[in-house]
Amino acid sequence: MNVTDYGWLILLFPLVGSVLIGLLSSKLPGKAAGFIGTGSIFLAFLATVGALFKLQDRPEEARQVTGILYDYASTVGVDAEMSILVDPLSILMCLVVSGVSTLIHLYSVAYMWSDKGYARFFAYLNFFVFSMLLLVLAGNFMLLIVGWAFVGAASYLLISYWYRRTTATTAGLKAFVINVVGDIGLVLGTYFIFKHTGTLDFLKTFESAEEFANEGNGDLTAGLILLLVGAFAKSAQVPFHTWLPDAMEGPTPVSSLIHAATMVTAGVYLIARMHPLFEQAPAAADVAAITGAVTLLVAGTIGLVVTDLKRVIAYSTMSQIGYMIMAVGGGAYVAGLFHLMTHAFFKALLFMAAGSVIGAMAGKQDLDQMGGFRKAMPFTFGCFVIGGLALAGVPPFSGFFSKDEILLILGDRGGWYIGLYVVGYIGALLTAVYTWRMIFRAFFGEACPEAKELEGGHLHHAAVHTNPANGEVEDTEVGFPGAEHHIAEQSTAMKVAMGCLAVLAVIGGFIQIPKVNHWLDDFLHPTFEDSKIEQLSSNDGLLYFGLILGTFVALVGIAIAYRLWVQQPETPARIQARFSFLHRLFVNKWYFDELIDLVVVRPFAWFGRFGQQTFERVVVGAALIGGPTGLVKAGSAAVRALQSGFLRAYAALLLAGVAITLFYFLVQS
Amino acid sequence: MTLHLSIFLWLPAAAGVLGLLLRSDKVARILAALGAFGTLGYAITAVVDYDRDQAGLQYVTDRSWISELGIHYKLGVDGLNLFLILLTAVLFLAAVLWSMRRPIERERHYWLHLGIGQSAVLGALMAQDLALFVAFFDLMLIPFYFLTIGWSTAENKNAAVLKLVIYTLVGSLLMLVAAIALAVLTKDASGNELTFVISDLTKTTLPEGSQDWIFLCFAAAFLVKMPAFPFHGWMPDGYRAMPLPVLAVFSGVLSKVAAYGFLRIVCPTLPDAAVEFQTLMLIIGLLSILYGSALAFTTTNVRLILGYSSLAQLGFILLGVFALNPQGAQGAILQAVNHGLVVAPAFFLAALAAERAGGSEDIRDMGGLAFRAPVMAVLFLIVAFANLAMPGSANFVGEFFILLGVFNAKVAIACIAFAGVALAAVYSLRLFIRAMHNRTGADTDSREIGVRDGLVVVPLVLAILALAFYPQLPLEKGEKDVVGAVAVAFERSDPERAARENGEDPTQAATPGRPESGVDPAAAGGAIDPATGAPVDPATGTGQPVDPATGGGGEQIQIDPNTGLPIDPNTGQPIQIDPEQLPVDPATGQEVTP
Amino acid sequence: MAIGWYLAVSALIFSIGAGGVLTRRNPLVILLCLELMLNAANLALIAFSRMHGNGDGQIFAIVVMVVAACEVCIGLGVIVAMYRRQLPIDVDELRELQG
Repeated sequence: MNVTDYGWLILLFPLVGSVLIGLLSSKLPGKAAGFIGTGSIFLAFLATVGALFKLQDRPEEARQVTGILYDYASTVGVDAEMSILVDPLSILMCLVVSGVSTLIHLYSVAYMWSDKGYARFFAYLNFFVFSMLLLVLAGNFMLLIVGWAFVGAASYLLISYWYRRTTATTAGLKAFVINVVGDIGLVLGTYFIFKHTGTLDFLKTFESAEEFANEGNGDLTAGLILLLVGAFAKSAQVPFHTWLPDAMEGPTPVSSLIHAATMVTAGVYLIARMHPLFEQAPAAADVAAITGAVTLLVAGTIGLVVTDLKRVIAYSTMSQIGYMIMAVGGGAYVAGLFHLMTHAFFKALLFMAAGSVIGAMAGKQDLDQMGGFRKAMPFTFGCFVIGGLALAGVPPFSGFFSKDEILLILGDRGGWYIGLYVVGYIGALLTAVYTWRMIFRAFFGEACPEAKELEGGHLHHAAVHTNPANGEVEDTEVGFPGAEHHIAEQSTAMKVAMGCLAVLAVIGGFIQIPKVNHWLDDFLHPTFEDSKIEQLSSNDGLLYFGLILGTFVALVGIAIAYRLWVQQPETPARIQARFSFLHRLFVNKWYFDELIDLVVVRPFAWFGRFGQQTFERVVVGAALIGGPTGLVKAGSAAVRALQSGFLRAYAALLLAGVAITLFYFLVQS
Repeated sequence: MTLHLSIFLWLPAAAGVLGLLLRSDKVARILAALGAFGTLGYAITAVVDYDRDQAGLQYVTDRSWISELGIHYKLGVDGLNLFLILLTAVLFLAAVLWSMRRPIERERHYWLHLGIGQSAVLGALMAQDLALFVAFFDLMLIPFYFLTIGWSTAENKNAAVLKLVIYTLVGSLLMLVAAIALAVLTKDASGNELTFVISDLTKTTLPEGSQDWIFLCFAAAFLVKMPAFPFHGWMPDGYRAMPLPVLAVFSGVLSKVAAYGFLRIVCPTLPDAAVEFQTLMLIIGLLSILYGSALAFTTTNVRLILGYSSLAQLGFILLGVFALNPQGAQGAILQAVNHGLVVAPAFFLAALAAERAGGSEDIRDMGGLAFRAPVMAVLFLIVAFANLAMPGSANFVGEFFILLGVFNAKVAIACIAFAGVALAAVYSLRLFIRAMHNRTGADTDSREIGVRDGLVVVPLVLAILALAFYPQLPLEKGEKDVVGAVAVAFERSDPERAARENGEDPTQAATPGRPESGVDPAAAGGAIDPATGAPVDPATGTGQPVDPATGGGGEQIQIDPNTGLPIDPNTGQPIQIDPEQLPVDPATGQEVTP
Repeated sequence: MAIGWYLAVSALIFSIGAGGVLTRRNPLVILLCLELMLNAANLALIAFSRMHGNGDGQIFAIVVMVVAACEVCIGLGVIVAMYRRQLPIDVDELRELQG
């Protein structure tokens, strides 16, 4: 089999799984839907591994292969084919996506079991994986956009999965619309690029990148910035990030898979994929790097004050993606992708562990109500600690190596990139603080009633289920919450999935240890060989400095969190009172929601209402319809007066008319 | 194969008349269904049999009708109307099937009008004579007038239908004037005999002054029929008053005839005026998009949401037409088909939702249907996604081409038009959420879609999905004639680009013909792969596989006939490939000699 | 004989008819006067026909006679219907069709 055949197989399995589950949904017995879903994703993973081996068999310069199935929309100069591009980059992404997805599917088999929409959930989830794989395998802009929009749609469906909650449907709509804005950026950016290259195919586009840059650098920069809009919207970067925290309305596995491990990293993939273009337009790349840095800080500060368990992790995701965007924007492609991979492991793990905690809390997500789960849930606690250490960047956990490599390359580039370097370390400190704040508050301190109940061997169930977002009583007809929740401690499937990810979160960083090995760099080399930016730093001084500084910052962060939330739990309130302005700013998420509402939503809503209530009535109704109607009415009133009903008067008029006409012709001749 | 278009065209009307004469409601119903099925069969045969390599009209029927005036009874099918005819057949069949399972008063008359309506629409689409087109265009109005006035349940149906008729008639009269003027002035300009045949009218171009006012008259007629902002005054009342199956075909098909008229008549015969008024028409399209979208997400009546969304979608089609380049025109025709296919099931599904919400067509009374009607929810979801032109649907491909065309013509307008894409997401999903999700409404009686309704909606949704997977079919079948329709206007509006695109013709011509070229990537079902014998790009030396059809970086790579090795374009010598770098056949693990 | 005489007679009869239509109120008389006007036209047509030496005018005249016959049929029918319903036989009082 050819390497691209494997590529098509990767796409085929999840699609078939999704359609199969969707069509059979009501007839599938027991957990069949879950196992079909997990199995199909696992097959996709195996196909990815097959493609990986096929690819490694090839000579290094032939490791970018395009496979074409048929002409999708090739006409009038546009060459949109159904084509995939298999190269190390797409295979790496496929490995991460299908691998992590398999584990999350496995986790969901148990976690979602009491949900009434079990089959629907797996149909959606498989569709999502298909879309994501399509996105990373796409061989041209058209398919990229298709995959891009499909993941948005899947994300919409999964966010509003519990569709009787108005908060969920609103959050879904918000996520979808912001993602559509991103799609628009992508399409428009494609237009700018297509205008000069005349092709939608990736490899052909990259070949003509240099020529294009000489011919129309303004267009290239404009096009790339528009592509960045797409990347920012998908990857929740400022100012298109507001949907991500709301997206936590979805079930926890969804947050874990889509809003942590895979979909939100699509922006990073996009920039890495487009690197030949970005290197020709450094201004656009700088925009990406700076936005990443800003997001990193904004999300980190909000993460410090949020009290919803899942939202803390969501803001952490935003901030970590900020790192990745900063990395690929600054030219550290391999390091960015490295972080993408390790982040997928530990963030998926953290979400799964959070899901377990939420299960123990019977659906409640508020940190203020949690505490002391350490003894009740040792396994979950262990996973949280591993994830937390990896996220904070403590050696030798995976996050340490990847984060360090990003900052090393940025620091090595010098110039204003030093600024990004500094921001990166400030972000690292924030990360350590907010991550461990979450852990200390949930697992340490006095045990909450739910934790005590669990220690006694019984899992807490709420008498009346309420929506954690607005306190509304749940509609029990649809799905969640079922009669029981599931926690890792009591379910093998969840334990296996979390265990695998925990191991990966520990050892994931070992594939690229400075001075020891650089497997990832070697693997990705065929994709990035044309890059002018060195992917491995040779600056030893900076390297050792960074390693020490990174360790130090992470440990200091954890220590601060320990002091504030374990040793002296009254201090945070004091700090809040002292810096009340900053606290308000952070709690209100820097007022981005309000800003967007003011600038975008309200004007359009006003325009719509104006059209509906005023314009339709006044201009269309009165002027355009009323005017002519009035004229016709007035005219007919005038003519009606002539219709007296006197037959002889009519006859006289007729005769007079004929006589006048005849007379006229007589005079004429 | 010879297809008799006259049979095709008059079949539905004949079925209706026969049904009326036979004096049995049941027979009339069956006859109407047979007529609609027969027409669909004819349409599918035409699409399958249509020869895309042959530009120009096929299956032509040409008889002299009024010889003194040069009016012919000329019908024909080409790339412009092929898929619109198929769409007409599909949607009318859906409307007939939908009506069959519901009680109708004066049933035989209903079928008669529906049959005549279908014949009139088909006639307007097939007519290749201007006078014939005008006749059919006006004939379309009559059955729809009766269908609305006779079978509507709305209170203000008289006022609504009167508004519709007056609006349309004013437009039609202007069009009649324009048609006559066009023929007469063409006769004067060319010195030939008076003729109304469209292909003859395109041969002579009128002076710009007369083109301008004739153009405006045509535009008035078509813009009212579409409708486009600000000529949509009849639309809200009209849409509320029409019986649902009638509305589905009216919105799905009749509006497209107007868009089609621009491409069939206006662009080829009045190219200078089209260029002259390009910006005006683009702005009208743009305003239709923005205004329609904004109203669609503030109104609460389902019919009006879909009506205003159609206003916006037709704005896109108008943009495509008046991009005046091949991309825009291709997109416009594809989008016309797509929109018809989407809006009809949307109306049907909205009606089903209304039936379940105690008969209310207000989205505030709906909600939560998805739980007990999952199949209906899925259908609704697919339609909603297609309606918002999600990438992956054929609607997106249509919009992609339209906006690419506009982007090439007027960048700023394309950028603003994209706001409409975002707004479409808002109003489509809002409709879906309010009908299917959230808490159940007070009076909702949620139940699954019935089998017989499913028979109407499911095929339409399957058609949407099929087009989504293979939009290439309408694009390539129509390409030659659609490009031809705007060719002259394209040349006059943007001579530079037109010259460039025509200059590139050899490579473009190779695109559809690629399957014939030596190594066929599509047929091989896989990669362009060194292992399959494709040459390695010598220019860049990167070893990236090169598409054999187009070569790397636009260069054609030649193979030395003696050695079978690729020729270096710089030196002209065959390239010796280092044996150690030979590609390895993945199947056998052996090296492949070039 | 010159065409003028025929036309003069025709015009005279036409004027008598027209005068009758304008002055009389009885519908029966009005109908008679209309007949006069039609026949005046017929006379002129036939005179012209003879002058030109072809049959066009005569054909027209025959068509006019057919029309006249139809008109009388309908008109008399209407008058009989009016009589039966005991409506006034006076066109000035029959003016319900005013605007």
